[in-house]
Amino acid sequence: MSVATTALSQYRAQLRSNRLGLWLFFVSEAFLFAGLLITRFYLWGGTRPDLDQQLGLIITSILLLSSFFMYVAEVAAEHEKRKTFLISLIMTAILGTAFLVGVVVFEWGGQIRPWDGAYGAVLYGMTGMHALHVATGIVFILIVWYNGRKGRYTSKRHWGVEACAIYWHYVDVVWVFFYPAIYLIGTVPP
Amino acid sequence: MNDKKRAAYRMGVIVFLILAVLTAVEFYLASISGTVAGLFILALIKAALIIRYFMHVNRLWADGSRE
Repeated sequence: MSVATTALSQYRAQLRSNRLGLWLFFVSEAFLFAGLLITRFYLWGGTRPDLDQQLGLIITSILLLSSFFMYVAEVAAEHEKRKTFLISLIMTAILGTAFLVGVVVFEWGGQIRPWDGAYGAVLYGMTGMHALHVATGIVFILIVWYNGRKGRYTSKRHWGVEACAIYWHYVDVVWVFFYPAIYLIGTVPP
Repeated sequence: MNDKKRAAYRMGVIVFLILAVLTAVEFYLASISGTVAGLFILALIKAALIIRYFMHVNRLWADGSRE
C-alpha cells in the first residue's frame, strides 16, 4: 500500500468521525430550536402577531434558493468544477445576506419590539437565534470560499465544503419549522 | 463522471422545485385557514427532503469509499 493510499484511507476514517461529530452537534442544537418552538406554542397558542406575510414568503424563498446554490457548490467541489463552486458559494452568501436583511432590517423594523410582551419576546428570540446561525453560516461560507480560491479542496478531500454545506442546510431545516410557526399558524387577534 | 455530475445537478433541481411547491402550498393552506397538523406535516416532508438529499444523512453510515 502506497503512502498516498494509506493517507487517503486515514482521511476516510477521519471523515466518518467528523460527520458523526457534526450530526451530534446538530442534535444538541435541535434541543435549543425545539425549545424556542415549544415556547412559541405555549405563549402564543392559537394566535400570532400581525406580520408581513409577503415578507415571510420572500425570505423563506430566498433561504430555500440559497440552499439550492449551496448544493450546487458541493456537487461542483466533488467534481472539481472550481468556477461553478466559487460562484455558487458567493451566490449562497449573497442570498443568506439578503435573508438576514429581510429579518433584521424589514421584520425587526416593523411595529413589534422585543419588549412587546409574549409576541415581541418570542418573535425576537426565534428570529434572533436563527439569524445568528445564518450570520455564522455566512462567515463559514466565506472561509470555505477563500480556501477554495487557494485551491485547498480536491474531489477526494473537501470535508470543509461538506461541513459548510450541511451546516447551511441545517439552518434551512430550522427555518422550515420556524416559518409556519411564526407566520402561518394561528390567527391575528383583533 | 459527467453523467454522475449531471444526475446530481438534476436531483438538486428536482428537490428544490418540490420544496418551492410545498412552500407555496403551505402559504395557500394558511391563507384558507389550514390546520396546524397539515402545516406541520408539510414542514416535516420539507425537512425530510433536505436532510435526505441536501444534507446526505445516509453518508453517516456509508463506509467512505465513495469519497
